[in-house]
Amino acid sequence: MPTTPTDTSAVTGTPVTVARAALDALRRQQAFAAADEAALDGLIAVRPPARMPRPDPVWDDAVVLVHDVVGERYRRLVLATDTIATTALAGQFLMITVPSRGGERILLPRPMAIHRRHPEQGTVEVIYGVAGRGTTALVDVAVGESLLVTGPLGRGFEFPCPAEPDAAEASGTEPQPARTALMIGRGVGVCAIMGSVEDAAAQGVVATVVLSGRSWANLIGLSDCAELGATVIPVTDDDGSSALPALGELLRGLFAATPPDVILVCGAGVLARLAAELGDEWGVPVQVSLEAHMACGLGYCHGCAAPVATDPAVEGPLVCVDGPVFDAVLPIAAPAGGDNVAG
Amino acid sequence: MTIAPPRSTTDARRVFFDARPAVAAVDLSVRIGGLTLANPVMPASGCFGPSLGRLIPVTELGAVVTKTVFGTPRGGNPAHRLTEIRAGMVNSVGIPSLGAAGYLTGQHPLYLALGVPVIVSVGGHRASEYAPVVRDLRGAGDAYELNVSCPNLDRDGTDIGSDPDAIGKVVRAVRQETDKPVIVKLPVLVSSITDCARAAEDAGADAVCVANSIPALPLAPDTRSPLLGNVIGGLSGPNIRPIVLRLVWLASRAVQIPVIACGGIETADDALDYFSVGARAVQVGTASFGRPFAMVEIARALQERCLAAEVAVLAELIELWRD
Ligand SMILES: Cc1cc2nc3c(=O)[nH]c(=O)nc-3n(C[C@H](O)[C@H](O)[C@H](O)COP(=O)(O)OP(=O)(O)OC[C@H]3O[C@@H](n4cnc5c(N)ncnc54)[C@H](O)[C@@H]3O)c2cc1C
Ligand SMILES: Cc1cc2nc3c(=O)[nH]c(=O)nc-3n(C[C@H](O)[C@H](O)[C@H](O)COP(=O)(O)O)c2cc1C
Ligand code: FES
Repeated sequence: MPTTPTDTSAVTGTPVTVARAALDALRRQQAFAAADEAALDGLIAVRPPARMPRPDPVWDDAVVLVHDVVGERYRRLVLATDTIATTALAGQFLMITVPSRGGERILLPRPMAIHRRHPEQGTVEVIYGVAGRGTTALVDVAVGESLLVTGPLGRGFEFPCPAEPDAAEASGTEPQPARTALMIGRGVGVCAIMGSVEDAAAQGVVATVVLSGRSWANLIGLSDCAELGATVIPVTDDDGSSALPALGELLRGLFAATPPDVILVCGAGVLARLAAELGDEWGVPVQVSLEAHMACGLGYCHGCAAPVATDPAVEGPLVCVDGPVFDAVLPIAAPAGGDNVAG
Repeated sequence: MTIAPPRSTTDARRVFFDARPAVAAVDLSVRIGGLTLANPVMPASGCFGPSLGRLIPVTELGAVVTKTVFGTPRGGNPAHRLTEIRAGMVNSVGIPSLGAAGYLTGQHPLYLALGVPVIVSVGGHRASEYAPVVRDLRGAGDAYELNVSCPNLDRDGTDIGSDPDAIGKVVRAVRQETDKPVIVKLPVLVSSITDCARAAEDAGADAVCVANSIPALPLAPDTRSPLLGNVIGGLSGPNIRPIVLRLVWLASRAVQIPVIACGGIETADDALDYFSVGARAVQVGTASFGRPFAMVEIARALQERCLAAEVAVLAELIELWRD
């Protein structure tokens, strides 16, 4: 969910200049989105098989318990869906079928991260931004109605916990569970990482969470992190603190003595690249959650190709089943002059 | 950390599985060549996979249809491969395929395990490419559906299936390779669906499927930039229903072999619309994404409709409208 630094709502002037300014803003948005996606080039690798089996997905008629406004641009849904609430793993997602209203038919379900899990209450929380037709129609769903949801889906974040037996074998030592984690979320991308903040709290992992957004009022996850006892680093476009060089410098300073054991990131390609650079410098693994347009969420429609270049004869990873969480590893830089090597 | 469920939980999916109807006294069966399907409801190619079997009782379907299998592996189109606009869903997945050999080892066992007849969809870029794929499938599958109508791969949207001579060539060659039922899935954009359906029948096909998605170009409403990585794709969903209804009506009048309808079917009423213009079976595509249980719901509703009308076979229910 790359959010652009431009905001078209503040544009004023004659109709022509307004139209032109709006178009310029759209073009900037497109350019930003393209650059953001390009930042993922060569960065993504499917994670090695997990030790923990993934829960079986179900579909459910989830009753909407809460549907309120969060900040200036987002909405929160609290959904009663027992099985999903008790089985979902951190970073997994739902497909939400948007009910038809007033002639508006929404055919495809919309993928949404599971922001919070409350297994005791049998509920999950979703926070969404209004983007296009589907999310606009979702706004009209009232408390007490039910939403058809399918989940939990996908491969979520996994702490490199008492785990990765191959690595242990190779090094001949007992694997060390992650003790500290750096998590970075931007915009609604925060929702994908919040399950890991929950896991960290439950497992005693010390979590430092960067919450990035356009403005203070648009930061998602402040209260969740407070409740879960995570240290928050809020950064915004407003004061420039979310700019990549500033954020990179801040994190390099903060973790100069002891780097975190793992970095989890979601919400912008450029943030994923920054995380991969930090992971490379610190020698720690980085996991990134990606988006793709989806229809089934189950791996059969082949609609959700990950934005990676692949061999034309071999299908690349599918975001819904191979991800949405992938390893982010900096591509090995080509040796200087490598382009000239013939044959 | 998520722990095992602390208490027993339930969900609508489980309730749906439990609501499986007792074997009813209604005969919904349909014959495609030598193959008898227990009921006329099946998925559309590319809109089903074994993983959907975790969400619905697949054994309540007449058959399953695989994603189109090509002879050699293909990677598919770049992202975005699908989108939704007001007109409906548009996809340009580009049919990634493991190839025939890859399908046999990687996918076919999963389809077989579903416990209903498996119709293997077969693709090719040239008329000569289909028969070798069927040969390479070495008898796997209960029937073959020849996808001569993938709109977004060849020559900017013109298909083998829009040329009756090419259809004849494909079917005759495939007939040399198999005695199993052969279904020809036709495109929407043809100059004469009658000629195409007849070409399939004359060459020995056991059924035609009408139709594939409709070639389309979706643009972003604000920037007018293409929404699909491949620029053009195939439109599907409820808005294509009246277009495909016309084609099914025309095809049903042209041939004796069964016509399988495919296009925008979401409910039993939609299926009955198609039956009433001559279709003998239906395939459900886009509807399964938003409502994974749509196909099973349709099969159950057809049973109930027949019971309510006190008819023993589906054909009688359809005759009721004809009177
Ligand atoms: C795994 C995953 C988790 C997500 N989690 C969240 C979340 O927690 N909160 C949130 O606000 N958003 C989330 N998104 C993005 C969300 O799915 C899109 O914003 C939404 O689908 C847009 O639908 P629309 O109808 O409003 O937009 P439209 O532009 O009208 O949608 C047209 C089509 O494109 C698809 N599409 C458009 N933008 C996106 C996108 N960014 N990602 C995926 N599909 C898109 C739609 O699903 C639809 O099929 C997530 C996406 C993925 C893949
Ligand atoms: C995501 C997607 C993938 C598809 N893949 C195939 C395919 O591999 N082979 C094929 O013959 N048709 C394919 N189709 C077309 C469908 O089988 C069907 O003909 C079309 O979607 C119309 O039916 P519907 O309106 O019920 O979806 C695909 C359609 C969609 C939406
Ligand atoms: S969304 Fe269908 S394969 Fe990923």
